[in-house]
Amino acid sequence: MELVRDVLDKQVDDRGKRRMGRVDGIIIVVGPNRPPRVAYIELGVTTLMSRLSVRLGRRVARWMRKWNVEPDPFRIPWGKLKIGLNTVIADVEAEKTPALEWELWLRKKVIGRIPGA
Amino acid sequence: MKKILEIALGIVTSVGGFLEIGSIATAAQAGAEFSFQLIWAIVLGGTCIIFLVEQSGRFAAVSGRTLPDAIRERFGFNYFAFMYLVLGLVSLMVLSAEIGGVCVALELGTGVAFQWWAIPVALVIWLVIWKGTFGVIEKGVSLLGLITLCFVVGAIIVHPPWGQVLRGAAPSLPPHDSARYWFIAVSILGASISPYLFFFYSAGAIEDEWKETHVGINRIIAVGGMSFGSLISIAVLILAAMLLLPRGMKVQHYTELPMLLIPVFGQKGFWLLVGSLGIACFGAALEITLQIAYLTAQGFGWNWSENQRPLDEARFSFAYTVIILLGMLPSLVGLDPLTMTVFSMAATAATLPVSIVPFLFLMNDYSYVRVHRNSWFSNAVVISIIALAFVLAVVTIPLQIFGGG
Repeated sequence: MELVRDVLDKQVDDRGKRRMGRVDGIIIVVGPNRPPRVAYIELGVTTLMSRLSVRLGRRVARWMRKWNVEPDPFRIPWGKLKIGLNTVIADVEAEKTPALEWELWLRKKVIGRIPGA
Repeated sequence: MKKILEIALGIVTSVGGFLEIGSIATAAQAGAEFSFQLIWAIVLGGTCIIFLVEQSGRFAAVSGRTLPDAIRERFGFNYFAFMYLVLGLVSLMVLSAEIGGVCVALELGTGVAFQWWAIPVALVIWLVIWKGTFGVIEKGVSLLGLITLCFVVGAIIVHPPWGQVLRGAAPSLPPHDSARYWFIAVSILGASISPYLFFFYSAGAIEDEWKETHVGINRIIAVGGMSFGSLISIAVLILAAMLLLPRGMKVQHYTELPMLLIPVFGQKGFWLLVGSLGIACFGAALEITLQIAYLTAQGFGWNWSENQRPLDEARFSFAYTVIILLGMLPSLVGLDPLTMTVFSMAATAATLPVSIVPFLFLMNDYSYVRVHRNSWFSNAVVISIIALAFVLAVVTIPLQIFGGG
């Protein structure tokens, strides 16, 4: 498997096939006297912004903290992932993770209040 | 029988997407200023969009993915972010022009200034997307768009010199106002090769659950729909050449548009023009709104589908709501819709390479399209379209300055 080609930027679905986001980053742990190990994938805006520019990523994180929004990306352990052809399936329930925090907030505070939603 | 119906609906739907304020306005300007001489630009633009739409449909049917999905996967987030910003901004400008077009149709019909219609029009667009399914939007509005066939009937009734019309299909040098001639040619190409068309088409293929078996149907729909759309644009150009040019009208204001049909159909022609303009722009506004929302949701991996309840895809619903609000603003503050249209078509032409270059890679990637990869001929055509897109990107801004009029 080639991590960048087969995993990075792929669609992530939860165990119920609900779309959670995309693989915004991959965390590789490098330890002494051990080969590098793929530990997590990350989903989050600060990871994405850091890919554009590290400085931009830091600035967005600062801005999020200022507005009391958690800037740390959501991490899913590698062991909970199944890498498919079109999607990465995560053995989690999307709505109970921070990945859908904005979705649920919008649903509750904005969209859910409009008649016919 | 079911397949024939599917193809017929597909072709009508494609026409609905093709014909919008940009193609009507640029074709009318071309005919009013240069007679039949710019028909070649519509033919060239139509041919390019046939290939791109066919490939985007084939890609979605075989890979099960939309274009933004694959572009993010293959080209990474940085390229996607760049494309998203460029395409998002240009599409927003085109959306503003389309909303402006609906408002102008309402102004022509009621006498109430177009800016007063901005909010009601935006509200109706939002309501249709909020309550409607993809099928309602795709097929319902497009069927209504068949009213634009009145341009074809009109073009036949005015008995144009068909020899000259045919000669117009071959490129020729302008007899006067070179900068203006090339600017209109570029605007026609921008209106014809609209990225929103093939992005929306690929999302539509997924919404309609196309599979590999749809590859043949997709080809017929792409060729039929886009050819049919180009034919209507040519009819607008013929009408402008036969009816506006002799009167010295250069389509500098929307109020001149009814003269395309009034001399042919009398007072009915006025209402046919109002109906055609309003419905064509309304349909295009729906498709562009959805296309920007699809691009956002697909690129970031959100839940998206026009067939789901808004509550089940809050971010997607929120995205199209904000897009409609932003698209409505220029009309609300009274920006001239014709200026917006011409400017947005030129901007589309200037940014074409960003959305067309990925085709060359994606359509040859076995992991996506398997045995349905591009043939050498299709690749040659895509390379030619990319070369054309780069030329357009370079010449559009100078032409906008010297020939934008």
